[in-house]
Amino acid sequence: MIEFKLPDIGEGTAEGEIVKWLVSTGDAVKEHQAIVEVMTDKATVEVPAPADGTITELLVGEGDTVPVGDVIFRLDNGGGAPAQAASPEPAAAPSAPSAPTAPSVPSAPTAVAAQPEPSGGKVLAVPSARRVARELSVDLGTVAGSGRNGVIRRADVEAAATGGAVAQSSHSVVAPSTAQAQRIPFRGVRRKIAEAMVRSSQTAVHFTIVEEVDVTDLVRVRQKAKAIGAEQGIKVTFMPFIMKAVANGLMKFPMLNGHLDEQAEEIVLPGTVNLGIATDTPNGLIVPVISQVESKGLLQLAAELGDLSERTRAGRVRPEELRGSTFSITNAGNIGGTIATPIINFPDIAILGVHRIVKRPGVVDTPEGEVIEVRQYMNFSCSVDHRLADGADAARFVAYLRQILEEPALLSL
Amino acid sequence: MTETLKMIEADGSAPSFNGALDDKALVYCYRTMLMVRAFDDICMKLQRSGRIGFSIPNKGVEATQVGAASALRSTDFFFPSYRDFGMALHHGAEPVEMMHNMFGNASDSARGRQMPVHFSFTKPLRFFSISSPIGTHLPQAVGAAFASQAQGKDDVSLASFGDGGTSSTGFHSALNMAGVWKAPVIFLCQNNGWAISLPSSGQTASDGYAIKAKAYGMPGVTVDGNDLLAVNRAVSEAAERARAGEGPTLIEAFTYRMGGHSTSDDPTKYVPAEELEKWAKKDPVLRMQRFLAQRGLWDEALEETLQAECAAEVAAAAKEAQATPGPTLETIFSDVYETLPNHLRRQGEQAFDLAARKGDADAGGGAFPL
Ligand SMILES: Cc1ncc(C[n+]2csc(CCOP(=O)(O)OP(=O)(O)O)c2C)c(N)n1
Ligand SMILES: [Mg+2]
Repeated sequence: MIEFKLPDIGEGTAEGEIVKWLVSTGDAVKEHQAIVEVMTDKATVEVPAPADGTITELLVGEGDTVPVGDVIFRLDNGGGAPAQAASPEPAAAPSAPSAPTAPSVPSAPTAVAAQPEPSGGKVLAVPSARRVARELSVDLGTVAGSGRNGVIRRADVEAAATGGAVAQSSHSVVAPSTAQAQRIPFRGVRRKIAEAMVRSSQTAVHFTIVEEVDVTDLVRVRQKAKAIGAEQGIKVTFMPFIMKAVANGLMKFPMLNGHLDEQAEEIVLPGTVNLGIATDTPNGLIVPVISQVESKGLLQLAAELGDLSERTRAGRVRPEELRGSTFSITNAGNIGGTIATPIINFPDIAILGVHRIVKRPGVVDTPEGEVIEVRQYMNFSCSVDHRLADGADAARFVAYLRQILEEPALLSL
Repeated sequence: MTETLKMIEADGSAPSFNGALDDKALVYCYRTMLMVRAFDDICMKLQRSGRIGFSIPNKGVEATQVGAASALRSTDFFFPSYRDFGMALHHGAEPVEMMHNMFGNASDSARGRQMPVHFSFTKPLRFFSISSPIGTHLPQAVGAAFASQAQGKDDVSLASFGDGGTSSTGFHSALNMAGVWKAPVIFLCQNNGWAISLPSSGQTASDGYAIKAKAYGMPGVTVDGNDLLAVNRAVSEAAERARAGEGPTLIEAFTYRMGGHSTSDDPTKYVPAEELEKWAKKDPVLRMQRFLAQRGLWDEALEETLQAECAAEVAAAAKEAQATPGPTLETIFSDVYETLPNHLRRQGEQAFDLAARKGDADAGGGAFPL
């Protein structure tokens, strides 16, 4: 198996745009056969196969820009363990193709990232970055480069122009400290996630509404459903219930379900609910999509969800399964946190964050009057793009979610 | 512009050809041209798939290279430009040796210390390492010629460079010294239309390049660089003059670079398509092929055989070079001092120790080493 990394096609090229794949997965190819057209700062060239074999995977979408050194396709040449075709550095973790963003509750800061080098002195930038910087009047000295050795890429300039804070660069002078700072290449899936996050947070006007839901009854219903599912070999979690409730809610409040087509200047409301399910994988967050949720039953949703999340974690999800979400759900439930401000899976209109179930004393109405009982609660954090919907829409939507999840029989409405 | 020497007509006839090269030599020249093309082709593929870092195409200028080489002895001094490896191939350099250089591996004569395409060959060749800085090898060629003259030998020196090279200070120094000393040197200016993206018209205000010879007191000759016989004749005459003690000659070979400047270049951004089409009709390989056909030395079967041989030879060379490991770490410290000075020995020990603990240099980023 050959993991083919985008080579440095010119002298010191930092990145390339995948213009066109000339083969498909499963194709048998010959050594030197043209596989993909790549456009760099310097030239558009055809990249040929390094050996005879079969294409097992195309990892980057057409139109996507990837840094030199990223694996762009896999070629089964009959050999065993992955060999690298281009740059002889350790293979990057295999990634799912251009995962459409990864909405999630923001994770705790892991390590203090290196600060970009201050302005002044020699600025390293690829030619197209310089041109775009001229066009957008961006001072390259203020832009953090995310390319190899801190070279500024076009995307860095564009990000800087649309409001500054680019995803942290791995570029800095070596600190004189004796502590061993860990340096992780900022590329691949991590970089894709970063770019998507920046785009979402800099374009959509986020506001978040948090609702508390008494799920005591839902817990009981789910317990029964779990037993029924188990007979058919289907694992029933809380997720299918939430998905179903969300689909019902979105059919009632369609202005939260869809996306903005910026080019056409139109808000697109598709009338069907395709739910992106943020999935934590070894390679970062990936968001596979389950389509037409409103027309599916709980068991079917449970079955599809089980299959899809398993394949996503294993890196076997198909590119078309990563596209077309109209709304997303991110589940940080079993980890922790009580509320969150999820970032919208751009260009969706809204996203729902789901939190863990906790037991707390609650006030319950009974024929004998109000009593205090041990109840189970779950919080929902819903972020909405305020450009496309208003606070009242979101409030009505989460109130409706609460209503049907507190009384699960209403799910069949 | 001085009158252009041309021998092969468009239809392949060459009425003025006097048999300077025999039939075998003519076919051999043709084969070398095909080998240059085959080597170019595979190097482009190897570079685009990330297996070598860099390459420089020769398409269009093969007749100049091979025509010049065929007029000289393998023991003459060659100071080539980076678009001249056809000269070495003609005098017996092996494609596999060149391929080792392209990969910069342990079998590369420079042990990976030079850029790809920067070949050098010794014994019996005196093919000096190609130098990247434009024009610096011209004074060196004069020096070698001057030494040959001082020792009473009849070796001549060939300095080959581009139209762009005439704008270098080395060009002036070299022609001036050579003229004063009557050094046995041939200056071969390959006017291939371009210096990277600068058209030849932007390189000089002179009427061509050969005319510059006048200022240095030597003859200047213009020759059709796509005509192997004409280049052979011009260089032969210059070599005769040089060996006879009559001094240097400046030859302008008028030709055309049909590919990009290098693998880092995209010529479609600046080369007018009509101009390329016009020159494609004058392709030096087709020109030579027509000439051979007219003399009954060429047919389709020969073409197939030669093409297949060349393709197989460069493919085998690439396979072998690719499978050859990189130079060992020790080579950073070898081949300069007979006995390693202490400070380098210490550095070496540290490096070997580090490599033993962290793994070899192959673990590096794989970036093109510039
Ligand atoms: C001293 C120097 N200046 C600039 C360069 C960059 N450079 C590399 S090749 C080249 C063009 C040379 O053109 P020409 O002499 O016509 O040769 P050609 O490439 O056409 O064969 C230039 C400017 C260099 N290598 N050395
Ligand atoms: Mg030139």
